[in-house]
Amino acid sequence: MQITSALPIAKMVGSNRVVLGTGIVHVTGDAKLPLKDEKDLRRKLVQQALDALQSNEKQ
Amino acid sequence: MKIVYYVNQFFGGIGAEEHAGAPLEFRDGALGPAKLFEQLMGNDATVTMTIVCGDNHAVEHQDQVTAAVLDKVRASGADLVAAGPCFDAGRYGMAAGAICSAIQRELGIPAITAMHVENPGVDLFREELHIVDSGISIAKMRDIVATMAKLGKKLVARQPVGLPAEEGYISRGLLRDQLGDKTAATRMIDMLIAKMDGEKFDSEMLPNAFAPVPMPARIKDMSKAKLMVITDGGLVPKGNPDKIEGTAATRWGAYNIAGSDDLRSEDYEVSHGGYDTRFVQDDPDRLVPLDALRELEKSGVIGKLHEEFLSTCGRSNPLSNTRRLGREMVEKIKRDGVDAVILTST
Amino acid sequence: MQLTLAVHPITDIQFGTRLSLDGSALTVDGEELHRLVLEDAAIDNVAFDIVRPGESCRAGPIFDVVEPRAKADGGSDFPGIIGAPTTAGMGTTHVLAGAAVSVLAEMSPDPSRSATGRVLEMSGSATAGSAYSKLCHLLVVPQTKPGLPRSTVLKAYRVASVKVAVHLARAALAQAPASTQTFEPIGAEDKSREGLSRVVYIGQIFSRQRKPAVDEPIIYGTNTDGMLPVILHPDEWLDGALVPSLNSWFGGTETYFYQNHPVVLDLYRRHQAREINFVGTVATVAGNDNVDRVRQCHAAANLAKWNLRADGAVMTKYGGGLPHADLSETARLLEHMGIKTAVMVSDVARDRRVESALLFNVPEVNAIVYNGGNGTEYEIPKAARVIAAKPELAALLAGPMTIDANNIIGVTNQQGASRMRSLVY
Repeated sequence: MQITSALPIAKMVGSNRVVLGTGIVHVTGDAKLPLKDEKDLRRKLVQQALDALQSNEKQ
Repeated sequence: MKIVYYVNQFFGGIGAEEHAGAPLEFRDGALGPAKLFEQLMGNDATVTMTIVCGDNHAVEHQDQVTAAVLDKVRASGADLVAAGPCFDAGRYGMAAGAICSAIQRELGIPAITAMHVENPGVDLFREELHIVDSGISIAKMRDIVATMAKLGKKLVARQPVGLPAEEGYISRGLLRDQLGDKTAATRMIDMLIAKMDGEKFDSEMLPNAFAPVPMPARIKDMSKAKLMVITDGGLVPKGNPDKIEGTAATRWGAYNIAGSDDLRSEDYEVSHGGYDTRFVQDDPDRLVPLDALRELEKSGVIGKLHEEFLSTCGRSNPLSNTRRLGREMVEKIKRDGVDAVILTST
Repeated sequence: MQLTLAVHPITDIQFGTRLSLDGSALTVDGEELHRLVLEDAAIDNVAFDIVRPGESCRAGPIFDVVEPRAKADGGSDFPGIIGAPTTAGMGTTHVLAGAAVSVLAEMSPDPSRSATGRVLEMSGSATAGSAYSKLCHLLVVPQTKPGLPRSTVLKAYRVASVKVAVHLARAALAQAPASTQTFEPIGAEDKSREGLSRVVYIGQIFSRQRKPAVDEPIIYGTNTDGMLPVILHPDEWLDGALVPSLNSWFGGTETYFYQNHPVVLDLYRRHQAREINFVGTVATVAGNDNVDRVRQCHAAANLAKWNLRADGAVMTKYGGGLPHADLSETARLLEHMGIKTAVMVSDVARDRRVESALLFNVPEVNAIVYNGGNGTEYEIPKAARVIAAKPELAALLAGPMTIDANNIIGVTNQQGASRMRSLVY
């Protein structure tokens, strides 16, 4: 599956499982957050990614 | 004739990549390339407003930016909107394309822009918009803006637009019928003879398209699965041992993360010319989320995290490269018995 | 193997008491034709009509258009359908050039796609792309027995089409032709063209998207079931070995353009001019599943490579969308064997987008001729005269109406006759 901020491109090339990342410059992070919050965010995003891999629904 | 012109932070004179988060601004008159465009459009044309926005801001807040632009342009009474040239700046192309297409669609105002054919904005917006083929070289700015002006005048006058090669725009991927003099048989044989003679020929259709990708069946039990991370954000070990290029990369690498809980800034660098790499440099987990994945592996949610992550650079990378890179990676994925892949893309 | 066409130009057709050819005026005996067509027990009655270029008239649905031609010296006409199934393409064939026999159907062939079927239009701007509007047509309007199975009805139309066409051309047998055309010999024997590129034509003659009827004549009267690709001499295409399937496809295939095959004739012209060495043709069939496709494509490609020793191949398809897969796969195999290809495809992109038009994605198959037509409509006026087999069909065709270009017979054609192309912009 794919984690990206550029959703339209992922759709265009036919990527089947796509999760929205948190920005182009930090796809699985957020420099504006304190480290603890950023790690929480990352954990959540990765969990979403794993959910997508375990689902047959196109996202 | 009133013109509204859109540029990014660089062409709007705010700054380079580090200012890609610059917010949306509306400036009176012509700024940057808009000045040249205004000049080439002739005496009765004026750029009444130049819209400036940072590329990251525009892409990350596309809906709000578009709505705000529509409101302003609606009130402006513009006859034409122009944007770019974006060359091979992907986010710029996406932003310019989104704004031009929204204006054209919602307000009925013709739009003209310019991009390199590999710019992702082209594939997204070529059908709706006339996108002049800019190539990648900023040195050609004057010629490109001149082509934009010529085509822009036709669009405003609602004159019929010729074929891409004649008018200088990128093929929109649309079809129209034309009755000609030569039968299909003659055209086909002409084409074959040219092809056999090694001469240039113009095929009436190109074989390139994004064929639908069949969706692989889901992972039934992640706790038993082997997972691998791949990134196209250009994360490489310090020194870039495989010399992965920061543009149109022809290579990819596999990098060992066995026993690591976390990617450390001092061990890595980023080879990617298409985004501000500071944040990933400061903490590479922001691109390859090893820390989160390792936790999940330790707690049993993921069966096994593969001991390598794969990396290449997706910037301005033609399909001729990326199709091959992908195929090669797939061979390794199969060899290594990987069940699932997370691909992080910038 | 050599074919001579004895060409008799026709400028008018009239009904009269006796079949005769006087200069370029053909007279046909309606009663004689009536008896001829009713030899078929499936046909209860038949009417005839004549339409000429420039007339405000319209006829449809058209089953097929056949050029009146007859073999001299005991040769076999439409072998396997009316004549003995001996090999076509030899001896002399008399041709009534400028004339056509067009058979009307009693029902629309594919109501879901178009109620009108293929329409013959004889005047107005809709005719610009069709060669048929420039011919004098003898229209055959059959009335088959009620309750017959569809394939029996269509078979009756087929037999009537060729019987009438041959009968008309027999008027020319005793006459000196205005001109003759003898085709240059082609093939392995020709040592005079060494050094020129060896070009083959590979043409699909049927698509297994549909199962043919048991007695459906396509090649030498057989229905192609179980057929593997076969090498044909080009003159066989021109001289009655082939007719289209009983069921029409929107892309357009008529007997007329087998007889006047644009690809074969153009290759002959360049062969004569010593631009190429036209070495032969392969007739093939589009497969009915992936396994069949592999069989057909490999067989056709290997015939071109090893029997005909081709350097290059031009290729056409038959049928609907799926045969593009056979076309591209055969071309891909050829390209990998070092044989350059150019292919002709049909426009299936109803949304006018290139992505919808691309039925294959094979980078080596990069020389593509694109038959258009899906994006064009004509406004056709009320016709002064409408000829149809049933009053409700005549009412449907009366006009004024909007009609797809695909439905004006002759505008779109899978045999290479079409001048309508789709441009990418």
